[in-house]
Amino acid sequence: MELERRSQWLRGVLDLCVLGVLAHRESYGYELIQSLHAAGLDGIQGGTLYPVLLRLQRGGQVVAHWREGGSGPARKYYRITPAGTETLRRSAADWEAFAGGVSAILREVAAR
Amino acid sequence: MRHDTWLDALAGELRRHGVAEQTAGNVLAETAAHLWESGDDPLRAFGPPQAYAATVAESVRPEPPRRAPGGPVLLEVVGITKRYGRRTVLREVSLAVRAGEVAAVVGANGSGKSTFLGICAGLVSPDRGEVRVHGSLGYCPQGGGTSDFLVPDEHFLLVGAGRGMSRADARDTGRAGAAALDWDPRGGTQARHLSGGTRQKLNLVLAGLGDPDVLLLDEPYQGFDQGSYLDFWQQVRRWRDAGKAIVVVTHLLNTRDGVDTVLDLTPRGRA
Repeated sequence: MELERRSQWLRGVLDLCVLGVLAHRESYGYELIQSLHAAGLDGIQGGTLYPVLLRLQRGGQVVAHWREGGSGPARKYYRITPAGTETLRRSAADWEAFAGGVSAILREVAAR
Repeated sequence: MRHDTWLDALAGELRRHGVAEQTAGNVLAETAAHLWESGDDPLRAFGPPQAYAATVAESVRPEPPRRAPGGPVLLEVVGITKRYGRRTVLREVSLAVRAGEVAAVVGANGSGKSTFLGICAGLVSPDRGEVRVHGSLGYCPQGGGTSDFLVPDEHFLLVGAGRGMSRADARDTGRAGAAALDWDPRGGTQARHLSGGTRQKLNLVLAGLGDPDVLLLDEPYQGFDQGSYLDFWQQVRRWRDAGKAIVVVTHLLNTRDGVDTVLDLTPRGRA
């Protein structure tokens, strides 16, 4: 797949994907990257993810707190807020409609 | 690149971008934890410290950045027209800048940006129109403005005296302003031996001496390196937050600079 195009797609939805993962349970940056990777979104670098988390935090979509990280340094855990849940709910419906439209057009092309 | 070196550089750049100390501390700790756990190369995972700091600064800057307008208008320019010979440089130009606002004056070379600022400063008289300044004025010219044989401290005393400041106050305020631009003005270097960029820093500090209400800055960052350029806009934001009305003549307009009004002097038909 064209790398440039893929990263553009990702830019548009990464914050929603992060909220989606956090909707299951609170998590921290490195673990989020692994969760997203497991879901098929690989190649996300820290330099991309952490600014997204900062913006979500600034917008009140998530809250953060520090917790000891076992043998390593403390980790900053993020938890989704009710506002974040609401954003996720609304955007998930929007995304379905949008992606459905794109898929319908592209499927037609692929079937030709 | 070694983690520590990269993190140190990031710390410096975050400070330079005006990220609050506590926020920067959190970002640094989180980044360090990530590097520790992932074993990533910082340059690969986060990119150059300078660029990453800019992204972080952008991501933590409070939104919306606009404070409620409604400060009093401190600078009013109404219907200015200026001709040089048969050439009309400015035609019916108006601008109002409130306390806590930044206006950028842009336009092609020769479109009258410096003339406009000179008129605002009262150094050039217009053929028509009026300028009203409510409060005191600080002006930073594009060049000149310094005295070749005086050292920076003497400039601070001289200009400070003109604005009613005590010697000690003028010197301390001048040195603090210089430090904000990453410049140590102590030591007896006469202005004629300062580099162009440093002379502009001196000019800029002088413009801010005595806490003027209105600041007129004519492309003050010529000769600045990238870091000093950021320090300059940082200083502009501090002035804005302190309720000054600021006019900056510029040909480089970066949307992130937090400008409230843009006055484009490019003549119609040439834009």
